[in-house]
Amino acid sequence: MTHLDLSAIGMRYGDNVILDGIDLSVAQGEMHVLLGPSGCGKTTLLRSIAGLVQPDRGAIHLAGRAIEKLHPKDRGIGMVFQHYALFPNMTVRQNLAFGLEQRRLARRVIDDKIDTVLEIVSLQDKADARPRQLSGGQKQRVALARALVLEPSLLLLDEPLSALDAQIRKRLRDELKRIQRQTGLTSILVTHDQDEALSLGDRISVMNKSRIAQTASGPEIFYRPADLFVAKFIGNANILTSDEFGRLIGREFDRTAVIHPHMFKIGKTSSDNSVFDISARVVEAGPAGNVVRYVMRASGIIFNVEAQTAMNAAHLVAGTEAIVTIDPSNAHFL
Amino acid sequence: MSHHSSPAMKLLAAPFLLMLAGLVVWPLATVLIDSFSKSGAWSLGNYAEILMSAYYGQSFVNSLLISVLTTAIGMTFGFLIAVGLRYRKGGTRRIAMALANIGANLAGVPLAMALVFLLGLNGTLTLLLKASGLIDTFNVYSLTGLIIAYCYFQIALAVLLIIPVLDAIEAELEEAASLIGVGTTRFWLRVGLPVVGRQMIAITTLLFANAMGTYATTLALTSTSVNVVTIRISELVSGDVFSDPNLANAIAMALLLVLVVPIVISQLLLKGDKR
Repeated sequence: MTHLDLSAIGMRYGDNVILDGIDLSVAQGEMHVLLGPSGCGKTTLLRSIAGLVQPDRGAIHLAGRAIEKLHPKDRGIGMVFQHYALFPNMTVRQNLAFGLEQRRLARRVIDDKIDTVLEIVSLQDKADARPRQLSGGQKQRVALARALVLEPSLLLLDEPLSALDAQIRKRLRDELKRIQRQTGLTSILVTHDQDEALSLGDRISVMNKSRIAQTASGPEIFYRPADLFVAKFIGNANILTSDEFGRLIGREFDRTAVIHPHMFKIGKTSSDNSVFDISARVVEAGPAGNVVRYVMRASGIIFNVEAQTAMNAAHLVAGTEAIVTIDPSNAHFL
Repeated sequence: MSHHSSPAMKLLAAPFLLMLAGLVVWPLATVLIDSFSKSGAWSLGNYAEILMSAYYGQSFVNSLLISVLTTAIGMTFGFLIAVGLRYRKGGTRRIAMALANIGANLAGVPLAMALVFLLGLNGTLTLLLKASGLIDTFNVYSLTGLIIAYCYFQIALAVLLIIPVLDAIEAELEEAASLIGVGTTRFWLRVGLPVVGRQMIAITTLLFANAMGTYATTLALTSTSVNVVTIRISELVSGDVFSDPNLANAIAMALLLVLVVPIVISQLLLKGDKR
């Protein structure tokens, strides 16, 4: 069931088009990720939904209600910012209570709600700490709690993990996913990090130049990008022009091929007609734990191949000749 | 740590310390020592005279009244204008900053002249207000006139000083507040002001000292007719009839004391609230 519906959201700033007719539907309980390079309009789109910026045109419906003209506080939306935006002069508890007090709830009710949410983000013992006493990850969990405690109908997350260092980022990512599942809260997360998008998003909208290039599930976006931009932005697939791919398989070909490195198989296969053998030379071999990344050359074309390493077998070294095979059904064509 | 206290590093501070001694400590010491000299003998007579004299007492009351009032007005309007300018980008902000810059430095004779043209006995605004029947009479050469004059540079100075302080409060904080239903006024009372409290106290102290020490504007607008401390000091130093530099020294020390009190109080306040 559609929970949030955006139609024809448009915005320009002077001569610059920031948002160019954005249509998007997000289902109840979905974690939707807006992914794109900086300047693609993803943050502006998020801020438009929150009401922090006013788009020039378009309609926004949340749970069936038109909200595009409402003040941010009346939209029923919670938001988590990249740099936490905690009130520095208040304790964690006061930060969470600030919005609840505005609703004139009984002290008792406020305290109960805060305790419940602090438990969800595992920060019960930090209730009386001030933001400066918390680590980055803890601060962001407080920010999340502050949004959750108001029981919003939609949660917006603006690059919530970008300011954290790698290890904490991964931990908080898992926790974010758990909390989103647990609360069933419809969420939109903005990021420029494809790993984050692929691991968090039920669905992903890849944005490019003020438009949505593709909206689909993670695997769909990964294996079947809708256009060249998405193909280049997601993963590190080999993108071969029709001519290059044709030379590689020794046939005429008329479309661009998107082939992920692990879709090439090393070693000659049976004489299956639909699978093509390619005689290649290993240019570079880079073992990295469970995988080894090769750069190979065949018919003057350089391409990447990725294979699993084995405990009791050596990988190919640079300079070796090898046969790799590609099954076109494992490739995507544009 | 060791290089901070090495003799060579200490030597580098010598020019600064020398300058401090020459420009602050020495004159201050002279003023202090001379303030205890009355008719060629050591005594507390100068201080006694200040305490006994209703005339000098009144000059302090007037100076304090003007300073406290214009500091309060300056901080209030300065804060409101600075908050208002936060939401303006580029052009408006630049123009307002330029005007505040001019205002903060437009003191003394030019300010007095401007006020005379506007609010003098035959000033444009005075005549206009009289013609419209809003006022019967207005005398700019008075305590009220001085308060208006001081407000010009006090508000402008407050705007100039408060704007960068407010820049330390990220826009995201305000956005976060607005999303959880906290309005602008409540945001500034509960978050904005507490966060910049220390700096605001420092600016208040500065504005107060600025007003207490104002001399040129006062002299240019009201000459010696309004009894304020700086005018009294100058009269005693340069007056032909009542010249008494040592009494002036004592008044200057008393003025210094009045300025030091709020500084000490504000420092104590800030210490209690160490974050």
